[in-house]
Amino acid sequence: MIARYGMTIDVDRCTGCGACMVACAVENNVPPAHEGANDRKGITWIRVFQVNNGQDYPNRRSAFVPVLCQQCGKDAPCVSVCPQQAIEVDPATGIVGQMPERCLGCRYCMVACPYHARYFNWWDPAWPAGMEKTLNPDVAPRMRGVVEKCNFCHGRWHAAKQLAAAKGRAIEAVDHVPACVEACPTGAIQFGDLNKPESAPAQGAKNGNSFRLLEKLGTQPKIYYRSRKDWVRQVASAPKPGLGKESSGG
Amino acid sequence: MDKEFIARGVKRCSASRFLLWILPWLALLAFGFYSAGLCLVKGLNQTNMDNRFAFGLWIFLDLTVIALGAGAFFTGFLLYILRVKELRAVINSAVVIGLVCYSGAIGVLMVDVGQPLRAWFTFWSPNVHSMLTEVTFCITCYLMVLAIEYLPILLKNRKLREVPSLLVFEFELHKLVYVLAGVGTFLSFFHQGSLGGLYGVLRGRPFAFREGLWLWPSTFFLFIVSAAAVGPSFILLITWLVEKISRKRLVRPEVLELLGRISGLLLSVYVLAKSVDTLVWINRTSPDAGFPAAQYYAWKPFGTWILFAEIVLFGLIPALVMLTPRLRRRTGWLATAAAMACLGVALNRFVLTVQTLALPTLAFDKFLSYSPSWQETGTFLAVVAYGVLVYSLSFRYLQLFPEERELQAGRY
Amino acid sequence: MFPWNYGFHWSAASYIFLGAFYTVLMVVAATVISAILRTRRDLRAHEAEEIRWHSDFHDLPARDRVCRHVLTGDLQSRECPNAFDCRHCETHARLTALHPPEQPNETEEEIFGMSFPLDRLYHRGHAWARPEADGTVIVSLDELGTRLVGAPDAVDLPQPGAMVHANGTAFRIHKREADVRVLSPVDGQVVEAGGPGRGWYLKVKPLNGQMDLRHLLCGAEIKPWLMREMERLQLALSAEGAAPTLADGGVPVADIAQSYPEADWDAVCGEMLLEP
Repeated sequence: MIARYGMTIDVDRCTGCGACMVACAVENNVPPAHEGANDRKGITWIRVFQVNNGQDYPNRRSAFVPVLCQQCGKDAPCVSVCPQQAIEVDPATGIVGQMPERCLGCRYCMVACPYHARYFNWWDPAWPAGMEKTLNPDVAPRMRGVVEKCNFCHGRWHAAKQLAAAKGRAIEAVDHVPACVEACPTGAIQFGDLNKPESAPAQGAKNGNSFRLLEKLGTQPKIYYRSRKDWVRQVASAPKPGLGKESSGG
Repeated sequence: MDKEFIARGVKRCSASRFLLWILPWLALLAFGFYSAGLCLVKGLNQTNMDNRFAFGLWIFLDLTVIALGAGAFFTGFLLYILRVKELRAVINSAVVIGLVCYSGAIGVLMVDVGQPLRAWFTFWSPNVHSMLTEVTFCITCYLMVLAIEYLPILLKNRKLREVPSLLVFEFELHKLVYVLAGVGTFLSFFHQGSLGGLYGVLRGRPFAFREGLWLWPSTFFLFIVSAAAVGPSFILLITWLVEKISRKRLVRPEVLELLGRISGLLLSVYVLAKSVDTLVWINRTSPDAGFPAAQYYAWKPFGTWILFAEIVLFGLIPALVMLTPRLRRRTGWLATAAAMACLGVALNRFVLTVQTLALPTLAFDKFLSYSPSWQETGTFLAVVAYGVLVYSLSFRYLQLFPEERELQAGRY
Repeated sequence: MFPWNYGFHWSAASYIFLGAFYTVLMVVAATVISAILRTRRDLRAHEAEEIRWHSDFHDLPARDRVCRHVLTGDLQSRECPNAFDCRHCETHARLTALHPPEQPNETEEEIFGMSFPLDRLYHRGHAWARPEADGTVIVSLDELGTRLVGAPDAVDLPQPGAMVHANGTAFRIHKREADVRVLSPVDGQVVEAGGPGRGWYLKVKPLNGQMDLRHLLCGAEIKPWLMREMERLQLALSAEGAAPTLADGGVPVADIAQSYPEADWDAVCGEMLLEP
């Protein structure tokens, strides 16, 4: 059973509430930001960006785009550059996995990633007293000096696989749902196996309004965004990155 | 006081004056160690690097210093393999410069990575497709080679020579120096190239990405040529500087002119290659990735002036100066041209490190800026201080310039 | 790194990469190890002295390595390829066969007020060797060398029974800041050690029968050699800080060192006695 997990994100449905960001941090034991952290040093495996169409009131329109690791195809830019082979595209799931135990912290993969989806632990992780009770036992926290990123809640995949094995069957798509998908109140983020034509991402990929970020780079990401609005689709291909369209953190 | 350690017939200042020279550099080194120590103990949050600027001052420094230290392998190659005998006058100095540059770079690299104790992981599970693996392997091997090449220079110290076993070992090792020179050339070719390849393979950064030959992007070859061009320039510059500081003539002017000629020639080749490469990039590679090249230069302060400065101001002009015999004969012009060439290569490394990361890739990115924290600067200065100290000690106690005695006697 | 590592994927790239890496390591290790082994072999064969001379010779400036036949005018220009060991030199053998050394008429040469008796053979490091009737050889410092060091502050002589090698160290001389070794003209075993007071320094017995003295200067070679040595002395004195006072035709005094208190005497002696 070879799966190729992917996502479809309906930008028109995203309200920018940020529930996905919170759920992700809680699920994956992302430490609270250290004193002195700014938005460029914080860890946000998924991050919602606000974009607008560059026009003034009353024609100004905004949208929210959640950006996470795009889970590129077999030629993921980060995989080939890691000197320790700490990153690989899992052939069974298509997930681009990062091994924090092997990571040297050279940050070359962060330079290679055009989506800025990789985050470095600039500090030792520290939870305020009492907050350690909220830690998820299924996910290992990472140490200082290593890179981390979204892995489609791999811990949940493992747990689902074990549960399915206990029940004597193989894992199925519905068994494994990443935290952000689960938390999204509008269902803007949908998760599934791209190899199964009936799954939401596979359907989303075929949709005429679908686009992927920076397609021309040839990274073959597995995250398909969708919008009925032209200007949103144009934003994704970034003919003029950083120019014209305002941006701010979610 | 320490006259018995100083070679016969050369004049060196008194021990107390030497101490006076050493002390401020030692102080700087101590400060640098403190800065680096902070980064190691408290973590890389002590720097101003962040998730967007994953590479900063240190990586820029590493790249520049390794390019400048290329004189060691290139001079060795020219002298021991191609038998350009005049370069015997500067080979020892070149080896010391190379040793200092490479050991300094590795020192800084150990502070730069998040988990320095895991450095051996690269050797244990190398990713043969990664340019950084290649760099790591080659630089480590080459540092070993440089240390072994430094050994004969060290063993020829006046006092150490008295020990028969050391004298004989130096003699036997020197007989095989051409093997080391050959290995050094092979290693340097690959790691200088791979440092360029680091950026050239980044498909996710169209500013840096280049097509090339088979596995190797054009930056691979451009880095090799620019390093070979600037290596002799740096040796020239340092020799000139040491002559000024020590107020002695250390090499015949013809040797400096030869270095200038070599540097000028290679620099011209580099400028030509880089211009062709830039044109291909502007007209084909970058637009194919969906990024018209002009937009990169829309951000202040990185306007097109930077391209002009890199290729023309600090590339073509010093090349032309160093290739003009009339100007080459005047050491002032020669040293200035050499310094400009070094600056040009530093600018190239800067552009590929910092400008690449400053430029946004996504529509909702911002153009960001970065300036190093004092801890980063301190660590950088530690490398400079370390270099000056090692070179000063080598200059005082070892025979770095074989022509010095003859020049001092006025016999040339 | 190794094939049995977890996660190792064999591919052409792995072979090439690791192959190159291991080859480089082996070449470098082989170089260092062979240098160490050769060093041990040389030390065991007691070749340290010979190697020391070769190393010193290599560091001498080119004009000091001139072949003896250039001094006499037989050749225009030639740098000695044998570190002044003419015993095994084909060119020397060929040239002496062509022009056998003439026997001069006088019994001694007088140059610049210094006497150079011709009953002895001279080494280019300013030591001389005189074969005695009992088969031993007397070794001492020539007139120029003696005036250079004057009354030495100290002399390190070898013990009787010690070995000396041609072009190796015969003895060491200390004068003022100078600490220089004098090159031995001959191979052999020291029978007796003399000193400056006795007029000679060493009495050496050859190891196998006759002593080979072909590499030493004699007869008509002495004068041209000494002319050149005086030039070298003049250059050395001016280079090492002496004020220019040695006018043409001047005669060096008995203790030259005293006349040039400001000169770096260690450098001057090193220059003249061929120790760089």
